[in-house]
Amino acid sequence: MSTAGMRRGGTTLTLLGLLGLIALYWMAFFWVPTEVNQGVVQRIFYIHVPAAWTSFLAIGFAALASGMYLWLRDERLDRAALCAVEGGLIFATLVLTTGPLWGKIAWGTYWTWEPRLTLTLLLWFIFIGYFMVRNATEDPEKGKRFAAVVAIVGAIDIPFIHLSVVWFRSLHPEPVVARPDGPTLPGDMLVTLLFGVLVFTVLFFGLFLFRYAVEGLRAEADLRARSAA
Amino acid sequence: MSTYLSQVWVIVWKDLVLEMRSRERIAAMGAFAVLAGVLFNFSIDTTTTRPQDVASGLIWMTLIFGGLLGVGRTFHLEAQDGALQGVLMSPAPKDAVFLAKTAANFVLLYVVSLLVLGVFGLFFGLDLGPNLGWVVVVLGLGALGFVALGTLFAAVSTGTNMGETLLPVLVFPLLVPMVIYGVGTTTRLINGRPFDEVEGNVRMLGAFALAAVAAGAVLFRYVVED
Repeated sequence: MSTAGMRRGGTTLTLLGLLGLIALYWMAFFWVPTEVNQGVVQRIFYIHVPAAWTSFLAIGFAALASGMYLWLRDERLDRAALCAVEGGLIFATLVLTTGPLWGKIAWGTYWTWEPRLTLTLLLWFIFIGYFMVRNATEDPEKGKRFAAVVAIVGAIDIPFIHLSVVWFRSLHPEPVVARPDGPTLPGDMLVTLLFGVLVFTVLFFGLFLFRYAVEGLRAEADLRARSAA
Repeated sequence: MSTYLSQVWVIVWKDLVLEMRSRERIAAMGAFAVLAGVLFNFSIDTTTTRPQDVASGLIWMTLIFGGLLGVGRTFHLEAQDGALQGVLMSPAPKDAVFLAKTAANFVLLYVVSLLVLGVFGLFFGLDLGPNLGWVVVVLGLGALGFVALGTLFAAVSTGTNMGETLLPVLVFPLLVPMVIYGVGTTTRLINGRPFDEVEGNVRMLGAFALAAVAAGAVLFRYVVED
Protein backbone atom coordinates (compact mmCIF):
# COMPACT_ATOMS: atom_id res chain seq x y z
CA MET A 1 0.00 0.00 0.00
CA SER A 2 1.25 3.48 -0.84
CA THR A 3 1.73 6.09 1.85
CA ALA A 4 -1.25 8.05 0.55
CA GLY A 5 -3.40 4.92 0.61
CA MET A 6 -2.15 4.24 4.10
CA ARG A 7 -3.22 7.71 5.19
CA ARG A 8 -6.64 7.33 3.59
CA GLY A 9 -7.08 3.97 5.26
CA GLY A 10 -5.89 5.39 8.57
CA THR A 11 -8.27 8.35 8.33
CA THR A 12 -11.22 6.17 7.43
CA LEU A 13 -10.61 3.65 10.18
CA THR A 14 -9.87 6.31 12.80
CA LEU A 15 -13.03 8.24 11.92
CA LEU A 16 -15.03 5.03 12.02
CA GLY A 17 -13.43 4.22 15.35
CA LEU A 18 -14.20 7.67 16.79
CA LEU A 19 -17.80 7.53 15.62
CA GLY A 20 -18.03 4.05 17.08
CA LEU A 21 -16.58 5.41 20.32
CA ILE A 22 -19.37 7.98 20.57
CA ALA A 23 -21.90 5.22 20.01
CA LEU A 24 -20.13 3.02 22.54
CA TYR A 25 -20.24 5.77 25.18
CA TRP A 26 -23.91 6.29 24.50
CA MET A 27 -24.56 2.57 24.84
CA ALA A 28 -22.43 2.22 27.97
CA PHE A 29 -24.00 5.22 29.72
CA PHE A 30 -27.62 5.23 28.55
CA TRP A 31 -28.61 2.10 26.73
CA VAL A 32 -27.27 -0.83 28.67
CA PRO A 33 -29.03 -1.59 31.99
CA THR A 34 -27.19 -0.98 35.25
CA GLU A 35 -25.63 -4.08 36.72
CA VAL A 36 -27.46 -5.10 39.92
CA ASN A 37 -24.58 -5.90 42.25
CA GLN A 38 -21.94 -3.36 41.27
CA GLY A 39 -24.15 -0.46 40.21
CA VAL A 40 -23.10 2.33 37.90
CA VAL A 41 -19.37 1.75 38.34
CA GLN A 42 -19.66 -1.44 36.30
CA ARG A 43 -20.12 0.68 33.16
CA ILE A 44 -16.36 1.29 33.01
CA PHE A 45 -16.15 -2.39 32.04
CA TYR A 46 -17.17 -1.53 28.46
CA ILE A 47 -14.01 0.57 28.11
CA HIS A 48 -11.70 -1.47 30.31
CA VAL A 49 -12.13 -4.87 28.70
CA PRO A 50 -11.92 -3.71 25.05
CA ALA A 51 -8.77 -1.71 25.91
CA ALA A 52 -7.24 -4.80 27.52
CA TRP A 53 -8.13 -6.92 24.50
CA THR A 54 -6.50 -4.34 22.20
CA SER A 55 -3.27 -4.13 24.20
CA PHE A 56 -2.84 -7.91 24.03
CA LEU A 57 -3.70 -7.87 20.35
CA ALA A 58 -0.93 -5.28 19.98
CA ILE A 59 1.80 -7.39 21.61
CA GLY A 60 0.79 -10.39 19.51
CA PHE A 61 0.82 -8.29 16.35
CA ALA A 62 4.15 -6.68 17.32
CA ALA A 63 5.76 -10.06 18.05
CA LEU A 64 4.53 -11.43 14.73
CA ALA A 65 5.83 -8.42 12.80
CA SER A 66 9.11 -8.56 14.75
CA GLY A 67 9.61 -12.23 13.96
CA MET A 68 8.93 -11.58 10.28
CA TYR A 69 11.32 -8.62 10.40
CA LEU A 70 14.16 -10.75 11.77
CA TRP A 71 13.46 -13.25 9.04
CA LEU A 72 12.84 -11.02 5.98
CA ARG A 73 14.60 -7.80 7.08
CA ASP A 74 11.95 -5.62 5.51
CA GLU A 75 11.97 -2.16 7.12
CA ARG A 76 8.19 -2.01 6.84
CA LEU A 77 7.80 -4.94 9.20
CA ASP A 78 9.93 -3.20 11.81
CA ARG A 79 7.85 -0.04 11.43
CA ALA A 80 4.68 -2.10 11.82
CA ALA A 81 6.01 -3.62 15.06
CA LEU A 82 6.99 -0.18 16.39
CA CYS A 83 3.57 1.29 15.65
CA ALA A 84 1.79 -1.70 17.17
CA VAL A 85 3.84 -1.36 20.36
CA GLU A 86 3.03 2.35 20.56
CA GLY A 87 -0.67 1.60 20.19
CA GLY A 88 -0.40 -1.21 22.70
CA LEU A 89 1.28 1.08 25.21
CA ILE A 90 -1.58 3.58 24.95
CA PHE A 91 -4.28 0.96 25.40
CA ALA A 92 -2.40 -0.76 28.23
CA THR A 93 -2.17 2.64 29.96
CA LEU A 94 -5.93 2.93 29.51
CA VAL A 95 -6.41 -0.44 31.19
CA LEU A 96 -4.13 0.56 34.04
CA THR A 97 -6.08 3.77 34.67
CA THR A 98 -9.63 2.41 34.31
CA GLY A 99 -8.84 -0.73 36.35
CA PRO A 100 -7.84 1.07 39.57
CA LEU A 101 -10.72 3.58 39.19
CA TRP A 102 -13.14 0.69 39.19
CA GLY A 103 -11.16 -1.18 41.82
CA LYS A 104 -11.32 1.69 44.29
CA ILE A 105 -15.10 1.41 44.37
CA ALA A 106 -15.60 -2.30 43.81
CA TRP A 107 -12.67 -3.65 45.83
CA GLY A 108 -12.08 -0.64 48.08
CA THR A 109 -8.51 -0.25 46.93
CA TYR A 110 -6.80 1.29 43.89
CA TRP A 111 -4.26 -1.41 43.49
CA THR A 112 -4.18 -5.08 44.28
CA TRP A 113 -1.93 -7.76 42.88
CA GLU A 114 -4.79 -9.21 40.99
CA PRO A 115 -3.63 -11.49 38.13
CA ARG A 116 -5.00 -9.71 35.09
CA LEU A 117 -4.09 -6.27 36.41
CA THR A 118 -0.59 -7.55 37.21
CA LEU A 119 -0.30 -9.09 33.77
CA THR A 120 -1.21 -5.80 32.11
CA LEU A 121 1.27 -3.92 34.27
CA LEU A 122 4.03 -6.32 33.24
CA LEU A 123 2.97 -6.03 29.61
CA TRP A 124 3.25 -2.27 30.03
CA PHE A 125 6.82 -2.70 31.31
CA ILE A 126 7.66 -4.96 28.37
CA PHE A 127 6.42 -2.22 26.01
CA ILE A 128 8.59 0.32 27.87
CA GLY A 129 11.60 -2.00 27.59
CA TYR A 130 10.97 -2.20 23.84
CA PHE A 131 11.35 1.57 23.49
CA MET A 132 14.33 1.80 25.83
CA VAL A 133 16.28 -0.82 23.89
CA ARG A 134 15.36 0.73 20.59
CA ASN A 135 16.63 4.15 21.58
CA ALA A 136 19.76 3.00 23.40
CA THR A 137 21.87 1.96 20.42
CA GLU A 138 24.05 4.10 18.21
CA ASP A 139 23.36 1.93 15.20
CA PRO A 140 19.60 2.08 14.50
CA GLU A 141 19.65 -1.31 12.74
CA LYS A 142 20.92 -2.90 15.93
CA GLY A 143 18.20 -1.17 17.94
CA LYS A 144 15.57 -2.60 15.61
CA ARG A 145 16.89 -6.13 16.02
CA PHE A 146 17.16 -5.80 19.80
CA ALA A 147 13.64 -4.39 20.05
CA ALA A 148 12.32 -7.24 17.90
CA VAL A 149 13.90 -9.75 20.29
CA VAL A 150 12.25 -7.97 23.26
CA ALA A 151 8.82 -8.10 21.59
CA ILE A 152 9.15 -11.80 20.71
CA VAL A 153 10.42 -12.93 24.12
CA GLY A 154 7.75 -10.76 25.76
CA ALA A 155 4.99 -12.41 23.76
CA ILE A 156 6.34 -15.90 24.56
CA ASP A 157 6.52 -15.01 28.24
CA ILE A 158 2.97 -13.62 28.47
CA PRO A 159 1.26 -17.04 28.84
CA PHE A 160 3.72 -18.01 31.59
CA ILE A 161 3.17 -14.73 33.41
CA HIS A 162 -0.58 -15.22 33.05
CA LEU A 163 -0.56 -18.74 34.51
CA SER A 164 1.75 -17.77 37.35
CA VAL A 165 -0.11 -14.64 38.45
CA VAL A 166 -3.41 -16.53 38.32
CA TRP A 167 -1.91 -19.17 40.53
CA PHE A 168 -0.54 -16.45 42.82
CA ARG A 169 -3.84 -14.76 43.57
CA SER A 170 -7.24 -14.14 42.08
CA LEU A 171 -9.65 -11.37 43.07
CA HIS A 172 -10.66 -10.24 39.60
CA PRO A 173 -14.18 -10.99 38.41
CA GLU A 174 -14.13 -14.25 36.52
CA PRO A 175 -14.36 -14.08 32.73
CA VAL A 176 -17.94 -13.53 31.63
CA VAL A 177 -17.59 -14.07 27.89
CA ALA A 178 -14.80 -16.49 26.97
CA ARG A 179 -15.97 -19.43 29.06
CA PRO A 180 -16.16 -23.08 28.07
CA ASP A 181 -19.92 -23.15 28.86
CA GLY A 182 -20.75 -20.00 26.89
CA PRO A 183 -21.10 -16.37 28.00
CA THR A 184 -22.90 -15.66 31.29
CA LEU A 185 -23.30 -11.98 30.52
CA PRO A 186 -26.89 -10.83 29.86
CA GLY A 187 -27.67 -9.99 26.21
CA ASP A 188 -27.56 -6.18 26.27
CA MET A 189 -24.32 -6.12 28.21
CA LEU A 190 -22.74 -8.68 25.92
CA VAL A 191 -23.75 -6.65 22.86
CA THR A 192 -22.26 -3.48 24.36
CA LEU A 193 -19.05 -5.27 25.29
CA LEU A 194 -18.60 -6.90 21.90
CA PHE A 195 -19.34 -3.59 20.22
CA GLY A 196 -16.69 -2.02 22.45
CA VAL A 197 -14.16 -4.65 21.42
CA LEU A 198 -14.96 -4.00 17.76
CA VAL A 199 -14.68 -0.21 18.16
CA PHE A 200 -11.37 -0.41 19.99
CA THR A 201 -9.95 -2.82 17.44
CA VAL A 202 -10.97 -0.53 14.56
CA LEU A 203 -9.55 2.47 16.42
CA PHE A 204 -6.31 0.60 17.08
CA PHE A 205 -5.82 -0.22 13.42
CA GLY A 206 -6.79 3.32 12.40
CA LEU A 207 -4.18 4.85 14.72
CA PHE A 208 -1.78 2.14 13.67
CA LEU A 209 -2.08 3.01 9.98
CA PHE A 210 -1.67 6.70 10.77
CA ARG A 211 1.50 6.09 12.72
CA TYR A 212 2.71 3.67 10.10
CA ALA A 213 2.29 6.27 7.35
CA VAL A 214 4.18 8.82 9.47
CA GLU A 215 7.05 6.37 10.01
CA GLY A 216 7.13 5.69 6.28
CA LEU A 217 7.41 9.42 5.55
CA ARG A 218 10.11 9.78 8.17
CA ALA A 219 12.14 6.96 6.60
CA GLU A 220 11.71 8.60 3.20
CA ALA A 221 12.79 12.00 4.57
CA ASP A 222 15.85 10.40 6.17
CA LEU A 223 16.74 8.80 2.87
CA ARG A 224 16.42 12.10 0.99
CA ALA A 225 18.43 13.97 3.61
CA ARG A 226 21.16 11.37 3.35
CA SER A 227 21.28 11.38 -0.46
CA ALA A 228 21.31 15.20 -0.48
CA ALA A 229 24.21 15.33 1.96
CA MET B 1 25.74 -33.94 16.87
CA SER B 2 28.95 -34.83 18.61
CA THR B 3 30.80 -31.95 16.91
CA TYR B 4 28.00 -29.63 18.07
CA LEU B 5 28.37 -30.83 21.64
CA SER B 6 32.14 -30.55 21.52
CA GLN B 7 31.83 -27.00 20.19
CA VAL B 8 29.54 -26.15 23.09
CA TRP B 9 31.89 -27.84 25.50
CA VAL B 10 34.96 -25.92 24.24
CA ILE B 11 33.28 -22.58 24.93
CA VAL B 12 31.93 -23.70 28.31
CA TRP B 13 35.38 -24.89 29.27
CA LYS B 14 37.00 -21.66 28.11
CA ASP B 15 34.58 -19.58 30.18
CA LEU B 16 34.94 -21.74 33.26
CA VAL B 17 38.75 -21.77 33.06
CA LEU B 18 38.71 -17.97 32.71
CA GLU B 19 36.47 -17.76 35.72
CA MET B 20 38.55 -20.20 37.75
CA ARG B 21 41.66 -18.13 37.09
CA SER B 22 40.22 -14.65 37.54
CA ARG B 23 37.43 -15.53 40.03
CA GLU B 24 36.05 -12.15 39.07
CA ARG B 25 32.35 -12.88 38.78
CA ILE B 26 32.03 -15.75 41.25
CA ALA B 27 33.76 -13.70 43.96
CA ALA B 28 31.47 -10.72 43.35
CA MET B 29 28.34 -12.87 43.31
CA GLY B 30 29.37 -14.92 46.33
CA ALA B 31 30.31 -11.89 48.41
CA PHE B 32 27.09 -10.18 47.39
CA ALA B 33 25.03 -13.20 48.42
CA VAL B 34 26.60 -13.57 51.86
CA LEU B 35 26.47 -9.84 52.60
CA ALA B 36 22.87 -9.63 51.41
CA GLY B 37 22.10 -12.43 53.86
CA VAL B 38 23.68 -10.40 56.68
CA LEU B 39 21.72 -7.27 55.75
CA PHE B 40 18.46 -9.19 55.33
CA ASN B 41 18.98 -10.55 58.82
CA PHE B 42 18.78 -7.00 60.18
CA SER B 43 15.85 -6.13 57.94
CA ILE B 44 13.60 -8.63 59.73
CA ASP B 45 12.13 -7.88 63.12
CA THR B 46 12.02 -11.35 64.66
CA THR B 47 9.45 -10.25 67.25
CA THR B 48 6.86 -9.78 64.49
CA THR B 49 8.01 -12.08 61.66
CA ARG B 50 9.28 -15.64 61.68
CA PRO B 51 12.44 -15.76 59.52
CA GLN B 52 11.38 -19.11 58.04
CA ASP B 53 8.29 -17.48 56.55
CA VAL B 54 10.21 -14.95 54.50
CA ALA B 55 13.49 -16.82 53.98
CA SER B 56 12.58 -18.35 50.61
CA GLY B 57 11.58 -14.99 49.15
CA LEU B 58 14.88 -13.52 50.31
CA ILE B 59 16.81 -16.47 48.88
CA TRP B 60 15.24 -15.97 45.47
CA MET B 61 15.69 -12.21 45.45
CA THR B 62 19.35 -12.62 46.42
CA LEU B 63 19.70 -15.13 43.61
CA ILE B 64 18.23 -12.70 41.10
CA PHE B 65 20.19 -9.64 42.17
CA GLY B 66 23.40 -11.61 42.61
CA GLY B 67 22.76 -13.36 39.32
CA LEU B 68 22.35 -10.06 37.48
CA LEU B 69 25.70 -9.00 38.84
CA GLY B 70 27.43 -11.97 37.25
CA VAL B 71 25.27 -12.60 34.17
CA GLY B 72 25.34 -8.93 33.18
CA ARG B 73 29.08 -9.27 32.72
CA THR B 74 28.87 -12.38 30.53
CA PHE B 75 30.12 -10.58 27.47
CA HIS B 76 32.00 -7.84 29.27
CA LEU B 77 35.48 -9.33 29.12
CA GLU B 78 35.13 -10.44 25.50
CA ALA B 79 33.54 -7.19 24.36
CA GLN B 80 36.50 -5.19 25.65
CA ASP B 81 39.12 -6.42 23.24
CA GLY B 82 36.87 -7.64 20.46
CA ALA B 83 37.35 -11.28 21.45
CA LEU B 84 33.64 -11.90 21.07
CA GLN B 85 34.03 -11.47 17.32
CA GLY B 86 36.54 -14.31 17.41
CA VAL B 87 34.11 -16.58 19.22
CA LEU B 88 31.30 -15.66 16.85
CA MET B 89 33.45 -16.21 13.76
CA SER B 90 34.49 -19.66 14.93
CA PRO B 91 32.82 -22.58 13.13
CA ALA B 92 30.48 -23.06 16.10
CA PRO B 93 26.91 -22.05 15.19
CA LYS B 94 25.46 -19.09 17.10
CA ASP B 95 23.04 -21.24 19.07
CA ALA B 96 25.95 -23.37 20.27
CA VAL B 97 27.63 -20.18 21.50
CA PHE B 98 24.44 -19.20 23.32
CA LEU B 99 23.98 -22.62 24.90
CA ALA B 100 27.62 -22.64 25.99
CA LYS B 101 27.43 -19.16 27.50
CA THR B 102 24.20 -20.13 29.25
CA ALA B 103 25.71 -23.36 30.55
CA ALA B 104 28.78 -21.58 31.92
CA ASN B 105 26.59 -18.95 33.57
CA PHE B 106 24.41 -21.71 34.95
CA VAL B 107 27.36 -23.42 36.62
CA LEU B 108 28.36 -20.11 38.24
CA LEU B 109 24.88 -19.18 39.38
CA TYR B 110 24.10 -22.67 40.62
CA VAL B 111 27.21 -22.70 42.77
CA VAL B 112 26.19 -19.31 44.14
CA SER B 113 22.60 -20.41 44.76
CA LEU B 114 23.77 -23.44 46.75
CA LEU B 115 25.97 -21.07 48.73
CA VAL B 116 22.95 -18.80 49.28
CA LEU B 117 20.89 -21.76 50.43
CA GLY B 118 23.59 -22.82 52.88
CA VAL B 119 24.25 -19.33 54.22
CA PHE B 120 20.60 -18.37 54.55
CA GLY B 121 19.83 -21.76 56.07
CA LEU B 122 22.45 -21.02 58.69
CA PHE B 123 21.50 -17.37 59.26
CA PHE B 124 17.76 -17.96 59.44
CA GLY B 125 17.92 -21.33 61.16
CA LEU B 126 16.10 -23.24 58.41
CA ASP B 127 15.44 -26.93 58.90
CA LEU B 128 14.97 -28.43 55.45
CA GLY B 129 14.90 -32.05 56.51
CA PRO B 130 13.81 -34.49 53.80
CA ASN B 131 12.91 -31.70 51.36
CA LEU B 132 16.52 -30.55 50.93
CA GLY B 133 16.94 -32.54 47.70
CA TRP B 134 13.87 -30.98 46.12
CA VAL B 135 14.86 -27.46 47.15
CA VAL B 136 18.21 -28.04 45.43
CA VAL B 137 16.39 -29.19 42.26
CA VAL B 138 13.99 -26.24 42.33
CA LEU B 139 16.85 -23.76 42.71
CA GLY B 140 18.54 -25.42 39.75
CA LEU B 141 15.46 -25.07 37.52
CA GLY B 142 15.03 -21.44 38.57
CA ALA B 143 18.70 -20.69 37.96
CA LEU B 144 18.48 -22.25 34.49
CA GLY B 145 15.51 -20.12 33.45
CA PHE B 146 17.18 -17.05 34.86
CA VAL B 147 20.54 -17.52 33.13
CA ALA B 148 18.86 -18.29 29.79
CA LEU B 149 16.95 -14.99 29.80
CA GLY B 150 19.87 -13.22 31.49
CA THR B 151 22.41 -14.35 28.91
CA LEU B 152 20.23 -13.37 25.96
CA PHE B 153 19.50 -9.91 27.35
CA ALA B 154 23.08 -9.46 28.60
CA ALA B 155 24.06 -9.73 24.94
CA VAL B 156 21.40 -7.13 24.13
CA SER B 157 22.36 -4.70 26.88
CA THR B 158 26.10 -5.04 26.16
CA GLY B 159 25.31 -3.86 22.64
CA THR B 160 23.52 -0.72 23.83
CA ASN B 161 25.05 2.43 25.23
CA MET B 162 23.15 1.98 28.50
CA GLY B 163 25.10 -1.19 29.23
CA GLU B 164 24.21 -3.34 32.21
CA THR B 165 21.80 -0.78 33.66
CA LEU B 166 19.32 -1.81 30.98
CA LEU B 167 19.40 -5.50 31.96
CA PRO B 168 17.00 -5.37 34.96
CA VAL B 169 14.50 -3.25 33.00
CA LEU B 170 14.33 -5.92 30.33
CA VAL B 171 14.58 -9.03 32.48
CA PHE B 172 12.58 -8.31 35.63
CA PRO B 173 9.11 -8.24 34.03
CA LEU B 174 9.91 -11.52 32.27
CA LEU B 175 11.12 -13.19 35.46
CA VAL B 176 7.79 -12.94 37.27
CA PRO B 177 6.75 -16.57 36.57
CA MET B 178 10.09 -17.83 37.87
CA VAL B 179 9.79 -15.78 41.07
CA ILE B 180 6.20 -16.82 41.72
CA TYR B 181 6.67 -20.52 41.12
CA GLY B 182 10.14 -20.60 42.68
CA VAL B 183 9.22 -18.77 45.87
CA GLY B 184 5.87 -20.56 46.17
CA THR B 185 7.52 -23.95 45.89
CA THR B 186 10.49 -23.20 48.13
CA THR B 187 8.36 -21.66 50.90
CA ARG B 188 6.21 -24.75 51.11
CA LEU B 189 9.15 -27.13 50.98
CA ILE B 190 10.96 -25.19 53.70
CA ASN B 191 7.87 -25.42 55.86
CA GLY B 192 7.89 -29.20 55.54
CA ARG B 193 4.97 -29.63 53.14
CA PRO B 194 5.07 -32.76 50.98
CA PHE B 195 6.46 -32.58 47.44
CA ASP B 196 3.13 -33.65 45.87
CA GLU B 197 1.68 -30.30 46.84
CA VAL B 198 4.18 -28.35 44.73
CA GLU B 199 4.74 -30.79 41.88
CA GLY B 200 2.73 -28.69 39.41
CA ASN B 201 4.79 -25.62 40.23
CA VAL B 202 8.04 -27.49 39.72
CA ARG B 203 6.81 -28.61 36.30
CA MET B 204 5.93 -25.02 35.40
CA LEU B 205 9.36 -23.90 36.53
CA GLY B 206 10.89 -26.55 34.27
CA ALA B 207 8.68 -25.53 31.35
CA PHE B 208 9.65 -21.89 31.86
CA ALA B 209 13.36 -22.78 31.89
CA LEU B 210 13.01 -24.87 28.72
CA ALA B 211 11.09 -22.14 26.90
CA ALA B 212 13.67 -19.55 27.94
CA VAL B 213 16.58 -21.70 26.72
CA ALA B 214 14.83 -22.48 23.42
CA ALA B 215 13.87 -18.83 22.78
CA GLY B 216 17.40 -17.71 23.59
CA ALA B 217 18.99 -20.32 21.32
CA VAL B 218 16.81 -19.22 18.39
CA LEU B 219 17.03 -15.46 18.94
CA PHE B 220 20.66 -15.09 20.02
CA ARG B 221 21.94 -15.04 16.42
CA TYR B 222 19.90 -11.91 15.70
CA VAL B 223 21.37 -10.14 18.72
CA VAL B 224 25.03 -10.72 17.93
CA GLU B 225 25.02 -10.45 14.14
CA ASP B 226 26.82 -7.54 12.52
